[in-house]
Amino acid sequence: MSAATLEAQVTDTPPAGPADAAGEGTEPDPRYTFANERTFLAWSRTALALVVAGLGVVQLLPPFPGVPWGRHVLGVPLIVFGAVVAVTAYLEWVRNQRAMRLRQPLPRSVMPKLLAVVVAAMGVIAGVVVLVSALR
Amino acid sequence: MTAGQHDPGQQDPADPDPGLARERTSLAWTRTALSFAAVGVVVLRKDVIPGLIILCAAPVTWQLGRLAHHLRGRLELVTATIVAVALAALIVVVTH
Repeated sequence: MSAATLEAQVTDTPPAGPADAAGEGTEPDPRYTFANERTFLAWSRTALALVVAGLGVVQLLPPFPGVPWGRHVLGVPLIVFGAVVAVTAYLEWVRNQRAMRLRQPLPRSVMPKLLAVVVAAMGVIAGVVVLVSALR
Repeated sequence: MTAGQHDPGQQDPADPDPGLARERTSLAWTRTALSFAAVGVVVLRKDVIPGLIILCAAPVTWQLGRLAHHLRGRLELVTATIVAVALAALIVVVTH
């Protein structure tokens, strides 16, 4: 990368806020805006991982003996939840950006609890599928 | 003074990237682009065309993080791409 490009990047304006929140409030510290964007990206990667996990369960695992629906009952919820996480990550980014512009306390994120509940539920379902398969 | 010791409420005009926030964000975009590439390769093993399409999302994501700091709709694009990948995966899983 040339020095001129690097300089153009570091003196660049921070990422723009959401369109509906751009007019209200004042521009927050750029570092907060960047941190909010990184949080969104981290959740996006989590969402992608969930989708791949669901796809992998259905396509790469051998079928559970005696439980023909076993792989689908694990894979489909993972894929759907991946899409839910992606959309929720975006909505929370908008919400956080607005709160920062208005100098309000950041709203609490629902995502950690949501992820914990769903991952735990998937673990229970996987246990049930393995158990049913072993007993048949 | 190292980057980590900055008071968040204070701006140092001599330091254009305090706390290396911009660099860390740029790296986060790179990781996200790599995630798309990984998904693309996994899908490529089973379905070539959808795999190549998802693989193309990787360089696009990478460029979104590098160039378009004031471009609106970047995050919307990432979200929409993930939802589209999830929908495609769902169709593949249900029909196979």
